Amino acid sequence: MSRIKKVLVANRGEIAMRVMRTCRELGIATVAVYSEADRSALHVVRLANQAYCVGPAPSRESYLVQEKIIEAAKKSGADAIHPGYGFLSENPDFVRAVEKAGIVFIGPSAQAMDTMGNKTRARKHMVQAGVPVVPGSTEPFASFEEAKAYADKIGYPVMLKAAGGGGGKGMRKVEDAKDIQSAWTTAKNEAMGAFGNDAIYIEKFVEEPHHVEIQIFGDTHGNVIHLNERECSAQRRNQKVIEESPSPILNPELRAKMGEVAVKAAQSVNYVGAGTIEFLVDKYRNFYFLEMNTRLQVEHPVTELTTGIDLVNWQLRIAMGEKLPFVHPVSPRGHAIEARIYAENPDNNYMPSPGRITYMRVPGGHNVRNDTGVYAGYTVTNHYDPMVSKLSVWAPSRDEAIARLREALKEYVVKGITTNIPYLLNIIGHSEFQGGNYDTGFLLRNHEDLVTKKNPKDVRTALLAAAVYAHQKNEALAQKFVPPSKEKGFISAWRAYRGRRI
Amino acid sequence: MPRTMRYIATNKNIKNAEPVTIDVETLGNNRYAVTMDDEKFELESLVLPTLPKGAVSLLINGHSHSMDIIQAEAGELIHVTINGLPIHVDVADERRMRLRSIAPEHSKEGKQTLCAPMPGKVVRLLAAIGEEVKEGQGVIVVEAMKMENELKSPKDGKLVEVYVQEGMAVEMNAKLLAVE
Repeated sequence: MSRIKKVLVANRGEIAMRVMRTCRELGIATVAVYSEADRSALHVVRLANQAYCVGPAPSRESYLVQEKIIEAAKKSGADAIHPGYGFLSENPDFVRAVEKAGIVFIGPSAQAMDTMGNKTRARKHMVQAGVPVVPGSTEPFASFEEAKAYADKIGYPVMLKAAGGGGGKGMRKVEDAKDIQSAWTTAKNEAMGAFGNDAIYIEKFVEEPHHVEIQIFGDTHGNVIHLNERECSAQRRNQKVIEESPSPILNPELRAKMGEVAVKAAQSVNYVGAGTIEFLVDKYRNFYFLEMNTRLQVEHPVTELTTGIDLVNWQLRIAMGEKLPFVHPVSPRGHAIEARIYAENPDNNYMPSPGRITYMRVPGGHNVRNDTGVYAGYTVTNHYDPMVSKLSVWAPSRDEAIARLREALKEYVVKGITTNIPYLLNIIGHSEFQGGNYDTGFLLRNHEDLVTKKNPKDVRTALLAAAVYAHQKNEALAQKFVPPSKEKGFISAWRAYRGRRI
Repeated sequence: MPRTMRYIATNKNIKNAEPVTIDVETLGNNRYAVTMDDEKFELESLVLPTLPKGAVSLLINGHSHSMDIIQAEAGELIHVTINGLPIHVDVADERRMRLRSIAPEHSKEGKQTLCAPMPGKVVRLLAAIGEEVKEGQGVIVVEAMKMENELKSPKDGKLVEVYVQEGMAVEMNAKLLAVE
């Protein structure tokens, strides 16, 4: 395989920035695509050598239109496409179309995606490969009646899941038979909007589950390695909020066992590139294959921080036909945590809060990393994901990492839009999180605690500050209306009215 | 204007918080003598030269506090952000307290309009005109940032107006429907 000289990144936001940074380090030219809403986005204006508009704001008319992306790649002379995550990253038809156009797709083969990207097929394949799976349907349902009959049979609670993608879209937990109709409709609509495919399947919901995933990497020479786990149990509506590595509930034996199974799963489809095997771990530490994500994950920085590996760098080198630099598992070094900063208001039912960012101050310091695609003055639109940035920290131990993240979050200032920063602070300050044994029900169960504002000391300071602020305004106002004659004897009317609205 | 003024400050982050009386005396050079609940403080408040404005450095008896203060208009809530935590404070001076005592209370009487809390797209109407709805019942679904959000009826009553259609894009604060 020949050297890649120019990469088109078929994505936006922080992940486009992330991929382009490594490309530039390697001397690879970068090409951006953008929707009409993203002309001023950071990846377009700062890191791309070339940029092409691919349509109007809705992703269905721009970032999801394969022909437009490929046309932009041809026009720009790109020899490879990096899909990022979301959008077209797990679409095997796109992989085939890219390869047909003579362009390298940075990721696994279309065949591997066919098998692993489609969750029902992946489950079947895993059962054959001897990997443990959660009880559930292996096929999407043709009708609501069939789906309901199946859910009634395996017993509630059940999970409705989109066969075409992940990220919490098109996914609903159903506690009771009476709720399945509305959940079914919502899941189908969301799946259609996010992936253009509304096929839904059903799984039994495992009680007290932990979401632990293994990062794997394969090369074109048949080698597969795992790069340890990420604990992703802090999630809300299946949207991850905080991730860490290593997982506080894994010991070296369980890590080795899960890693081995993950490698086996990847090898069974001759997997090439970066991928993630997601597992559910129950309270007895049994683990079940959940799904495989055939792309780079949002939360990949915690793996990079604890292994020292630049995953995008590896993706590019493997796409150029290089061998994996090593094939033996490495032990995680220290501890890393990532917090996702969303434009949303946890106080008001997590309502999205798009709008113009009027001010932004990003924390710095030792081992603090911020991945973002926004800046002060930029308008966060309602067309895309509400994630505005990812704040990741590394420290020698978990306790130190939590303290570092806490201080960094306190330093973070975003004005103009509402963010979940106070919510994140409450999460990492919660005793259950600090204890390390939190399952995927943690955020929902503690919702009231986590959205409640505390810290009485800060409230007292705020009351004092607000009173003085109001007083200063009052005084400024009073000064304005002091009659000039009382101030310094006679002053001409022109001077008296200077700078004042008449 | 007198150099000392009395303010009534209330933390609006929690329901029914006890109002606090705060006396502020101007000492000059950004310094103030403040009394809150019989406790005396010496404050120095400096507005920092940030763009846009809003960052304030406050020294309370010599202890340094950094915060951001925003108030859209006089008389509205003052938003103070400390350590990433936004605290919404209502501050009234004595003149404003008098004005409030004669103004009518905010009520849920009559027709209540439900407006879009964010820009987005109307996905589904969950109730039809003429239908009886309960306060807190989901009445319309608006999609923003790829997530569907169910908006709830502001009161018990009858759905009397629907200003939007399914599939329609709406701006922030656009009227969606009315319940009477």
